[in-house]
Amino acid sequence: MKNRAVIRALVRRALNEIIRVPGAAVPGVLAPTVFMLGLTAVFGQVTSLPGFSGIDQYIAFVLPVGLLQGAGFTGAATGVNLARDIEQGWFDRMLLAPVSRPILLVGIVASASLRALIPTTVLVLVGLLFGVKFPGVLALVIAASLIMVVAACTACWGTIVALKFRSQQSAPLMQIGSFVAVLFTAAYAPIGMLQPWLKTVATLNPVNYVLTGVRQGFIGSVTWADTWPAYLAGFGLLLVLGFFAVRGMRRTGQ
Amino acid sequence: MIHASLALARRALRVTARRPQFIAPLLVFPSLLLAVNSGGLSQARNLPGFPPVQSFFDFQLAAAMSQSLLLGGVATGIAVALEIELGFFDRLVTAPIPRLSIVMGRLLAAAAIALFQLSWFVLLGLIFGNGISDGIPGLLIVYGIGSIAGIGFAGIGLTLALRAGNASSVQAIFPLVFVVLFLSSAFFPENLLSWPANIIAQYNPLSYIANGMRAPIIGYGGAEAVLEGFGAALGMAVLFAGLATHALHRRLRAG
Amino acid sequence: MLAIQANGLERTFKGQIKAVKGINLEIEEGEIYGFLGPNGAGKTTTVRMLVTLLMPTGGTALVAGHNVATEPSAVRRKIGVALQEAALDQLMTGRELMILQATLQGMPDKLARERSDDLIERVGLTEAADRRVGGYSGGMKRRLDLGMALVHGPSVLFLDEPTTGLDPTSRFALWEEVSRLRTEGTTVFLTTQYLEEADQLADRVGIISDGLIVAEGTPADLKRESGANHIEVALEDSGNTEAARVALSKLGTPEETSGAHDVCIRLSDPSTGVADAVRVLDEAGLAVAEVELVRPSLDDVFMEKTGRRLEGASNTPA
Repeated sequence: MKNRAVIRALVRRALNEIIRVPGAAVPGVLAPTVFMLGLTAVFGQVTSLPGFSGIDQYIAFVLPVGLLQGAGFTGAATGVNLARDIEQGWFDRMLLAPVSRPILLVGIVASASLRALIPTTVLVLVGLLFGVKFPGVLALVIAASLIMVVAACTACWGTIVALKFRSQQSAPLMQIGSFVAVLFTAAYAPIGMLQPWLKTVATLNPVNYVLTGVRQGFIGSVTWADTWPAYLAGFGLLLVLGFFAVRGMRRTGQ
Repeated sequence: MIHASLALARRALRVTARRPQFIAPLLVFPSLLLAVNSGGLSQARNLPGFPPVQSFFDFQLAAAMSQSLLLGGVATGIAVALEIELGFFDRLVTAPIPRLSIVMGRLLAAAAIALFQLSWFVLLGLIFGNGISDGIPGLLIVYGIGSIAGIGFAGIGLTLALRAGNASSVQAIFPLVFVVLFLSSAFFPENLLSWPANIIAQYNPLSYIANGMRAPIIGYGGAEAVLEGFGAALGMAVLFAGLATHALHRRLRAG
Repeated sequence: MLAIQANGLERTFKGQIKAVKGINLEIEEGEIYGFLGPNGAGKTTTVRMLVTLLMPTGGTALVAGHNVATEPSAVRRKIGVALQEAALDQLMTGRELMILQATLQGMPDKLARERSDDLIERVGLTEAADRRVGGYSGGMKRRLDLGMALVHGPSVLFLDEPTTGLDPTSRFALWEEVSRLRTEGTTVFLTTQYLEEADQLADRVGIISDGLIVAEGTPADLKRESGANHIEVALEDSGNTEAARVALSKLGTPEETSGAHDVCIRLSDPSTGVADAVRVLDEAGLAVAEVELVRPSLDDVFMEKTGRRLEGASNTPA
C-alpha cells in the first residue's frame, strides 16, 4: 500500500515536468515525427523493390520505428532527468526515504512508460493523416503496451548510465543506446533485404521482435506468432536492464 | 587580426579536444546512421534512375559527411552560447583584439574540425566501401567543399548563439538539422525523392554540397556537380559568416 | 539509549583518499551536537555515513538504535535530513514537496496532508506554500528543507551546514527553530563552519580536522581548557610600546599583536581584567588609548589543537 503510494507520488512528480513545462515534451515528439516523415519522403520509392511485396506504403512500414524511437527518446529523457536530480541533490532525498531501491526504480521507470504514450499518440495521428490505414484496436493496444515496455527498458538504460556517470553530460550515451537498439533492426526494410551483417544483428536484437509486434496492423494483420515473441523479448530485456538498474541503485554510496 | 583569429582558433581547438564527449556525437551518430542506411537499403541502388554506384555505402558516405558537418555547426553554436552564459565571451570582448577575430577564430577552428570529421568518414569509406573513386584529386575536392561548408554551418551556429545567448535555444534546432537533411538529395537521388521533398531539394544548398562531395567518391556527376558544390558551400560560408558578424555587432551594441 | 553512536567510523574513497579516519561519537537523546571544522575536514562525509547515503569502509555507527550499514531502512525511518544543498524540485510548490516527502516517509495521504499543513505553518511558509519553489528566496528554501526533514517527526535530525549562504535574519530564524527542537526532545546533529553557530546552539561541540575529532566538549569547557584570556592595548604614544610590554609582563606573557594594537599579553590569571591592566600601565606612567579584554574562542581551541585557524573564523555572520 505504502509502496503504491510512493510509486504514484514519484510518477506524479515526473509527469509534473510535462504539465508545467509543456515544451519539455516537444523534443521527444518532434524528433521521431521528423524522422518518420523524412524517411518516407527520402526512401519512399523503395517499396517498388521486390523485397517489399505486399507493402505499398513506406510510411506504414516506418511508423512503428518512429513509435519505438519515441519510446527511446522518452527513456533517455528520464535518464537525463535522473542525472540532473543526482547533480542537484534531489536524488539523495529519494535515497533517504525508507523505501526499497526497486520501488524507487519502479517510480522512475513507470513515468517513462506513461510519458511514451504522448509521442505514440501524436505519431499515430500524423500517420493516419498521411494516409496510413487504421490498424485496428487490437493492434493499437498491442503496439501501445509494447511501446510502454520499451520505454521502461530505455528508462532503465538511462538510469544505469545516470548512476554510473552522475552527470547530464552522459546524455548522448543514453541516446545512442536506444538509437542503436531501435535502428539496428528491420527498421528500414524487411529482414530479407538487409545486408548479411545487419540481418545477423537484427536477428539477435530483441527489439527487432518488439518492432515486428508493433508493426502488426500497420503492415499485415495481428497474429499470435508475431505477438508472443514481441512480449517475450520486451519483458526479457526489461528484466535484464531492470536488474542492472536496481544493482546500480543499490551500489550508490558504496 | 590574423594573429588574434589564429590564437582564438587554436584555443577553440584545444578546448574541443579536451571534451571528447563534445565531438563524439558528431562522428558516432552519423556513422551509426551510415551503417543502418547502407545495411538496410543496399538494394535501393537497383531502383531505376539510381546513379551507377559500386555500393550503396559509397552513395551514403556524402550524406554522413553532410550530417556530421551540420551537427558540427550546431555544436559550435552550443559551445559559443555556453561561453556567453558563463561569461567567458565577455572576457574576449574586453580583450584588446579586433572584435571580428572572435568570429573568425571560431570559423577557422570549425574548418579544422571539419577536416577531422571528413577524414573519419574517408577512413570509413576506405575500410567499408570502395574509397574515393577519383583518387587524390577527388579527396581534395571532398576536403575543399566539406571544410568550406563546415565554415558555413558553423556560421549558422554562431549566429544563433550570438542572437540567443543561451545554449538551450541553440540545442532546440537539432530536429531542424534532420529536416534540412531529409529535404535534400543528401540521402537519396533527387529524382527518386517523394513530393514535396524532390521540389524543395532543388533549392536546398545542402543538396549541392552533398552532391559535390559525392561526385568524386562515386565517380559520377562530373565537374558540374563539383562546381555547384563549391558554389553552394562558398555561398553559405559567406552568407553565414556575414550574419554571424552582424549578430556579434548587435550583441556588442546591446551590451 | 544513545541517539548516535559511532566507533572508529572510517571512509576511504577510491584512490586511497581517507576522508574520515576513525570517528567516535556518543550523542545523547535530545542533545544538540555541533560538528565544527573547516571545508574538507570530513564533516559532510561523516554525515553522509550516519544518514546511510554512504557506506562506511571501517568502524560501526548506530543511529536511533539501528546499524547504518545493516539496517539502513530502519535508520531512515527515524531520521530527518537537511543536506548542504537544499535539493528542491523548482517546478513543484512548497506544499506539493512537503506532501511528497511525507508520502516517501510512508505516511498515508490524509495524515501526509495534515502534517504538511502543520509543518508549513511552523516554518512560516503558509502564504508561499502554493507557489513554485523556483520563486522562493534562499531563506525560504532552507525553511522548507527543514520542514521537509521534520514532517515525519524524526527522533534524530541531521543538519549539514544549514545556514551557509543565508542572510543574518534567515540565519537567526533558523537558529530559533533549532533551539525549539531541543525543547521537543529531538536530537540534532549539526555541522557548521561558523564558530558563533556552534557556540550559540550546541550543547556539545566536536571539532573535526583532517578526518579526526581533535576536541570535544561543551563550548565553555573547550574554551576554558584551551584558551587563556588576552589583553590588547593601544597606547597614546606608540613609542612606549617596549615599556608597556615590560610593565604588563607582570600580568602574563607578551604575544604577537594583531596589528591594530601595540601590545598583546596572554594573561596567566583568568580573573585578571581590564582594570588591572590600566592600573599597571598607570603606575608605569604610560597613557592608554584603548584596552580590550579578548576571551578565547572556539577558533583558539582549533588553533591550539591543529596549529591553524578555522576558515569559518573569517566567515562569522555579519
